[in-house]
Formats: sequence, C-alpha cells, structure tokens
Amino acid sequence: MRPLNLLAFLLFLSGATWALTRSERTVREIQSTYYAWLRPFLNAGSELEIKARSFLEEVEDSKKLEAELASMRTEYDRLRQIEAHSEEINAENARLRRALDFQERTEFKATAARVIRRQPTNWWQTVEIDRGKEHGISIHQPVVADGGLVGKVDRVDKDFSSVILLTDEACQVSVQVEGTPEAGILGGQRGQYEDGPKLRLRFLSVKAQIAPGTRVFTNGRGGIFPANLLVGTIESVIPGPLDSEALVRPSVDFTDLGTVFLLPKQ
Amino acid sequence: MIRYTLSLLLLILLALVVQQFIPALTGLFNSRLLLVTLVFLCASVTVGPPVMLALAFTCGFLWDAQNALGPPGGDPTIYHSPAESLRFGYSIVLYGVIGYLMQGIQPLFREGKWQLSTFLAGISVFIYLVAEYLIINFVRGGFIFSRATLLQITFTSILTTLFSPLVFWILFQIASRFGHEIRFEGLKKKRRRRAIA
Repeated sequence: MRPLNLLAFLLFLSGATWALTRSERTVREIQSTYYAWLRPFLNAGSELEIKARSFLEEVEDSKKLEAELASMRTEYDRLRQIEAHSEEINAENARLRRALDFQERTEFKATAARVIRRQPTNWWQTVEIDRGKEHGISIHQPVVADGGLVGKVDRVDKDFSSVILLTDEACQVSVQVEGTPEAGILGGQRGQYEDGPKLRLRFLSVKAQIAPGTRVFTNGRGGIFPANLLVGTIESVIPGPLDSEALVRPSVDFTDLGTVFLLPKQ
Repeated sequence: MIRYTLSLLLLILLALVVQQFIPALTGLFNSRLLLVTLVFLCASVTVGPPVMLALAFTCGFLWDAQNALGPPGGDPTIYHSPAESLRFGYSIVLYGVIGYLMQGIQPLFREGKWQLSTFLAGISVFIYLVAEYLIINFVRGGFIFSRATLLQITFTSILTTLFSPLVFWILFQIASRFGHEIRFEGLKKKRRRRAIA
C-alpha cells in the first residue's frame, strides 16, 4: 500500500471511530445542524412538489374538483353547526359539573400537523411533520390520526419534527386487550410489506384467550402514551412456551397519512 | 483534480437533497432508488483511494445525520426490551467497504469498460443493504430475513443499477469540463501491444 493511501485509510478509520463514539446529545446536535443547513433546499423542493401536484390535480379533472369543493363546503357548514352545538353542550356540561362540584377534567388539547414526507430511510418507518419546537412540540409526544395511534415524535427541530411510526420495531407501546386482563408491549416488525403491516404484541400470558377482531388500546403505562387510544385489532394469537404473542392489524392506514394530531406528553 | 473532487462533493450534497423526494415503491416491496449511494459508488471508481475514503466519510456521516433514530424513551421497567438503534457512524464503515469494492475494478474502468462498473454498483448496493440488515438483526436479536426483505433489497439494487449509466455520463461530463482524466487509454494500448507481441 502506498504511504498516501495508508495515511488516508488511517485517517478514515480514526474519523469513523470518532463518529461511532459520539454521545446521543452530540448526535442530536449534529442532526439539528445538518437539517438547519438542508432546510432551505427541502422547503424549496417541497414547494415545487406541491405546485407540481396541484397543477396535475387541476389538469386531471377541474369539474370533479369543483363538485368536491361544493360538497366539502356543505360538509364544512354542517360541521360548523355541530361545533357550535358541541360548544353549547360543553358550556352546559361545565355549568352542571360546577353545580354538582365535580372535579373538572383536563382539557383535551391536540396540535394538528401536516405530514410533509416519508423519510428516505431503508429500514426505519419515519415521517416528517410541519410542526416543531416553535409550535411547542417536544420529543416522545404521542401522535394520533382519526383512526387511532400513529406513533411518537422522535426528533424535534425548529419548525418541523420527525415521527417514528407504530409500524417501526423501535416504536413500542404498552397496551391492553379490550375485555380481557391481557396486557403487553406492541411494536412493528422487520420486513413486513406483504398484505399491509402487522404489529407484534408480545408478553401476553401463556394461556391468553383472545378472539380475532378484539380491539387493542393503550393502557397509559410507560410514561409516553396516554390510556385508551385505539391501536388496532387482534388478527391471530401465537402461543409460546413462556408467553404468547399476537399479530395486530393497525387501525390507521399508514400509507395514507395526511393530517395527524400531537397529544400532550403524559 | 481538486475541482473534480469538489464537484463530486457538491453532487453528493445535491443527491442528499434529491433523495428526500424519491418515494419508496410500495408495489415493489418498498424498494427505492438509493441516489446518494449510487453517486458515491460511481464517483469512487473514478478517483483514487484517498478521495474515495473522504467521500465515504462524507456520505456515511451525512446519511446517518439524516436518518439516525433517537433513544426509545419511556419507563425502562415497562419497556424492558427496547429495539436498539444502530450507532451513529456505522454507515461510514459500510460506505468505506463498498468504496473499496468499486476500487477493485478501477483498472478495467480506466480502460473504458464502464459497463462492468454499473453491474458492480448494483452488487455493491445489494451488499450494503444486506450488511445493514444483518447488523440490525445482530443488534436487535431474533434473526428474521423474510422473502419480502430479500425482494426489497434485490429491487433496490436493480433500480440503482438501472440509473448508474446516467450518473456515469454526468461524471464523464464533469471530468471533461474540469480536465480530469477518468479513462486512461494508455493502459488499453499497453495491453494491446503486449497481446500483439
């Protein structure tokens, strides 16, 4: 080996060792700096993508869009009425609670966010959302969609965040099977691309008696996810010598994530 | 040489941005075109080992900065067996390995036989993904290698191979613009002379 090549190889090895020995905090700082540099290019790319998409949509069928808009306006008006009615009921409820001296419930606060893109990772299941530190988002905040639990915030930057989806093996949730004493830890599986992703529910009792179709909810243990969020339905139970496992079909369609909601941390 | 190296670096940065907008093909087992890896592989066969290693470090470092997952969080008494994430910087080593693999066929490439490099780029992507997946299995435990995973890796490699002539063409254009000699015809003539003798 030539001296210059050997020197380059040794420098490469020391650089790799330096990177491999960085602490979690330093890695987060590196990621934050990297995305701060990349942000203007990503924003420009996103804008171009949105313009291209809207142009194609307009070209596709303007009449169809007009009809859809009209129907959405009607639906919007209807929802406005429902919202107004709901506010009245809430006010009435609060009055009655005060009259009966009930302890007031914590107000349900959720921050809406738009899914910007799926991140280009080979093996991780993550998406990027358009809410970050400046919107009060913090790490490990639970994320839900209209179908149920989506995942949790993995990385927060100034005006965007990364969400690790429930279908990723690294996103674990403590759950309870409806109508049974069975509880376990649910997470994604490696290499699940056929027939939609299935979640793996582990640490069930050996003699777990669960019928397919039974719903699975979060149980509020573990300090990340609040209780009673729908996660999915049981598909099958696999008994084992020490504990049983179940395959769970997620309640959310992860291929069609548009708007998600961030719940406050527990 | 310096201008060519700098333009390779810029090309890699551009690939990192474009990669963000390349979707995974759900119909093909979530396979996708790995543009950053492809640009690195094609570039690494056109330069010497020191530049290749510098590019490997840059690509691996930035790739991990883009994709590394955070700590699992939560109560460790409840989440007692978390799925471990890969350490930041592992991609640097993987990029170095596939870079050296590409360097292996550099003499043929310099004779002008770039077609072989396109196939080796596909093979390198395959090796890179298999190695990455095996590391995940090793770190997290419970060896799983499903048919879907194999197909995802295979289709990703094929997709990447299909785009490699385009990247080579871009590299040839950059090289000719900056006067960097990628193809060394002297080697070809020398061998011909030997064969005639």
